[in-house]
Amino acid sequence: MAAVDSAAEFEVLTTEAPAKSSRWAKWRRRLPILLPAGAVAIVVLACFVAPLVFPIPTPTGGDVLTSRLPVGSPDHPLGTDLNGNDILSRLLYGGRASLIVAVAVNLLGLFLGGTLGALSGYLSGKFDTVIMRLLDVLIAFPALVLTLAVAQALGPSQRNTILALSFFAIPAFARIARAATLRLNELPFMAAAQLSGTSGWRMLFRHIAPNIGPQLLSFMLLGMGIIIVTEGALSFLGLGIPRPAPSWGNMIFEASQTMSATPIQVVWPSMALLVTVLAFNLLGENLRSRWSSR
Amino acid sequence: MNLNQTVNQAGSDRATEAVPRTGGATSVVPGEAVLTVSDLRVTFTGGGRTVHAVTGLSYQLQKGRTLAIIGESGSGKSVSARALMGLLPPSAQVSGSARIGDDELIGLPDREMRKLRGTDVAMVFQDPARSLNPTMKIGLQIIEAVRAHQKMERQQAVERGIELLRLVRLPAPERRFHEYPHQLSGGMRQRVMIAIALAADPQVLIADEATSALDVTTQAQIMELLLDLQERLGMAVVLISHDIGLAASYADDVLVMYAGRAVEFGPTEMLFGNVQMPYTQALLGSVPQLTTPPHTLLPVIPGQPPDLRALPQGCPFRPRCASATEQCANTPELTEHQPGHWWACWHPIGDSDGGTK
Amino acid sequence: MATATSSLNGHNAGQAATSRLAGVTRSPMVRLIVKRLLMAIPIMLGVSLLTFIVMTIIPGSGATALLGADATPEQIAALEAEMGLDQPAHVRYLAWLQDLATGDLGSSVVSGQTVTSILASRLPVTFELVGLAFLLSVLAAIPVAVLAARWPGGFMDRLSMVVSVTGLAVANYVLALLLVVVFAVVLGVLPAIGYIPLSESITGNLRTMILPVISIAFPLFCFYTRFLRSDLVEQMQSQDYVDTARAKGIGPWQVLIKHAFRNSSFGLITLVGLNLGTLIGATVIIEQIFGLPGLGQQLLQSISAQDAVVVQAAVLIFAFVAVMANLIVDLLYLILDPRIRYGSR
Repeated sequence: MAAVDSAAEFEVLTTEAPAKSSRWAKWRRRLPILLPAGAVAIVVLACFVAPLVFPIPTPTGGDVLTSRLPVGSPDHPLGTDLNGNDILSRLLYGGRASLIVAVAVNLLGLFLGGTLGALSGYLSGKFDTVIMRLLDVLIAFPALVLTLAVAQALGPSQRNTILALSFFAIPAFARIARAATLRLNELPFMAAAQLSGTSGWRMLFRHIAPNIGPQLLSFMLLGMGIIIVTEGALSFLGLGIPRPAPSWGNMIFEASQTMSATPIQVVWPSMALLVTVLAFNLLGENLRSRWSSR
Repeated sequence: MNLNQTVNQAGSDRATEAVPRTGGATSVVPGEAVLTVSDLRVTFTGGGRTVHAVTGLSYQLQKGRTLAIIGESGSGKSVSARALMGLLPPSAQVSGSARIGDDELIGLPDREMRKLRGTDVAMVFQDPARSLNPTMKIGLQIIEAVRAHQKMERQQAVERGIELLRLVRLPAPERRFHEYPHQLSGGMRQRVMIAIALAADPQVLIADEATSALDVTTQAQIMELLLDLQERLGMAVVLISHDIGLAASYADDVLVMYAGRAVEFGPTEMLFGNVQMPYTQALLGSVPQLTTPPHTLLPVIPGQPPDLRALPQGCPFRPRCASATEQCANTPELTEHQPGHWWACWHPIGDSDGGTK
Repeated sequence: MATATSSLNGHNAGQAATSRLAGVTRSPMVRLIVKRLLMAIPIMLGVSLLTFIVMTIIPGSGATALLGADATPEQIAALEAEMGLDQPAHVRYLAWLQDLATGDLGSSVVSGQTVTSILASRLPVTFELVGLAFLLSVLAAIPVAVLAARWPGGFMDRLSMVVSVTGLAVANYVLALLLVVVFAVVLGVLPAIGYIPLSESITGNLRTMILPVISIAFPLFCFYTRFLRSDLVEQMQSQDYVDTARAKGIGPWQVLIKHAFRNSSFGLITLVGLNLGTLIGATVIIEQIFGLPGLGQQLLQSISAQDAVVVQAAVLIFAFVAVMANLIVDLLYLILDPRIRYGSR
């Protein structure tokens, strides 16, 4: 269309980033990404590095004698739980467990699900229809229910939790990858690449992956939050990471048992969950809007 | 005497208070200006930059006459129209004056401006496919316009709505009344848009690229309709377009804008018969003609439209003008060099040594 | 003479009616609806198959749970044969489907109660929980989003966005526990666990339901508010029909509610329908925390008791509701969106 509404044009013009900006302005622009990224980094460092650096007691094998110590006790800044385990330590090691599960599940989802979805969207035809039907069924299944059943069947353990949650993550990633690939298919350069004889695998790696990659990555970041919460739910119900090994989920469960006596103990793992999920969510969203506005 | 001074002279004779009105045309002596725009300036600020969309625009529109404002994208023509309606985004700063009758349109708070929209001035937008709410029936959208300024029983409003549809020559108006926009063709939708615009009896109708989204045949039909309505209802019409042919065929007066400024103004025949502004001539020249031999390179205006964030000193057309000289570093004022024909140029066509100083 | 005419009229009327019926079934809308309904069937079959497969994977059977830890393998085998669990899987699956078709959902291996009666007592609780949560989240989100969109960047907008973003990061079980800490432990005004059915006492019912409902509704509320607000703002700022509406001289509230919201409601409906599936999953953990005797709690209990029959039925119901919800959303879309309803030129 020839003449665009000029007012809208100008709106776009004036909201563009200025060419010469102050250093302050540059930092301000980066803040929505840097802040959550920093929070994530802090959480990761705390859970994986801090126990190596600081003298933090082991999260299990506590003594009944040292149980139920309050916050601020010497050697136990956050106190100890029913079994005498240091809460801070359980918090950090629990975070480690939850994060490992989340990363594993999301990577599985990204690579297995993403590839499946991209192939399905790219190849279309019967392969696509079959995969689509399969995905529809998997997605129709209420996720938690499915993971519960699988977790129960396999028995609670970190590895089985990862397996069970992948049932849930792989179809989700596949769907997104498929939709993104379908949209990509409409672009002329795809037809051009195919016509010039690019083989299937090359198409996938050189053309499809780089284009749907950013979308999948930001979805993965949002998925981190979702998986951490779902793993927490599983562990809460006793079907995730088995006690006495800590996970934020089972810590919350244990704390809920003594809620009338020590309500504060619910707060620590809850806050940890909240902050971590919030950080991942913000990071994922801000990255997505940054990448899609390019 | 330049246009600004003339306008200000006339303006100071009137009452300066904007009196809120609710609708209907006041009695204006035919031939007198119904719309007087005076030194209209619109800037957008954001991100530390200022975009000068419209600079010092002034013109007058008489009742019953059609003014075409033509220019490229970014010339400020649409922005100036929206400024009159008060439909600019919040980042816009508007100054100057635009008067319809006793009402001053610029600088009014939204609450007051609402009363004037549709009654003093109404607008028809470019793309009827997107300008009508796809989830509302046509009838409902028209009734809304009818009842916006007048208390009316629903049944009465429905009748008035159908009447309006008949006025714009929409076939089967009673049936269309209950249909959705997507069930109508582009031309029909634009007729509905016009009906909506006319609902509250505006004194001035602005058609912002109203036919640009239509095919040529429909375009002609809509234009004929507009002019017919104008005659019947005694409105003043502002045609905003990038299409010079449109202006030449349908307008009484033409105003050429470039980079937010008015650069040439005059009655259609006078202006096109005796083009003065190099820009106007270049515009005319870039229209492909049937008589041009095949494979001739289309003449284009060299260079780029100006960056409104950083307007150059002096005449905005200078970087692209074949007749530019040192003198053009001083911004020429829009001046009535010949009776009725105004232009802003040191080296207009026609005069070998430039216009009067 | 008169009777002949009237019977002729009757005949004509009958003809008119049949042709109208034919017209209706030929209508593209009805065809679309029927098509969607038919598509749901293979999905439901797939779900039933998947459920069955999952249940067969679970090691051990109801028999082992019933007999306890020190049962001999022979005893287990005998009980299994009696329960028909020694048949090959596909036979069992088909038998199950057959039973389903006749409405026989079987009986609990653990308690002997028929599944139908279990469902009858459990479903209303879950239904109330889900229904209230859904209503609360949507009814709260709409005014907040509208207020936020009315003044973009304003106080209401920023406040609601901060609350929503944070709320979305809170897991529903975490919220549940925090609510219990505040209202039951510290303030002592609401019960932490327990359920009072509606039939017994309305206020009692509400007191036991309010915390669980909020736990589920709040994250959803945040989700809907964010979406609706951004959709409304996008409509108001970049859609041409908004300009036309303003040009008529109507006020900003009218433009927002009568025009922008109308268009945004489609997106909202889709979102709500999609979320219904997640809603179901949330009931499992929330009912557990609050001790509500609903289907979710039943599912958990049956899973640990390896009561395959009940688990299958419960999972099937959950999946059925999710599929139905999606279907209804699709249908609503078809019915409400005038572009689809009336076809285009």
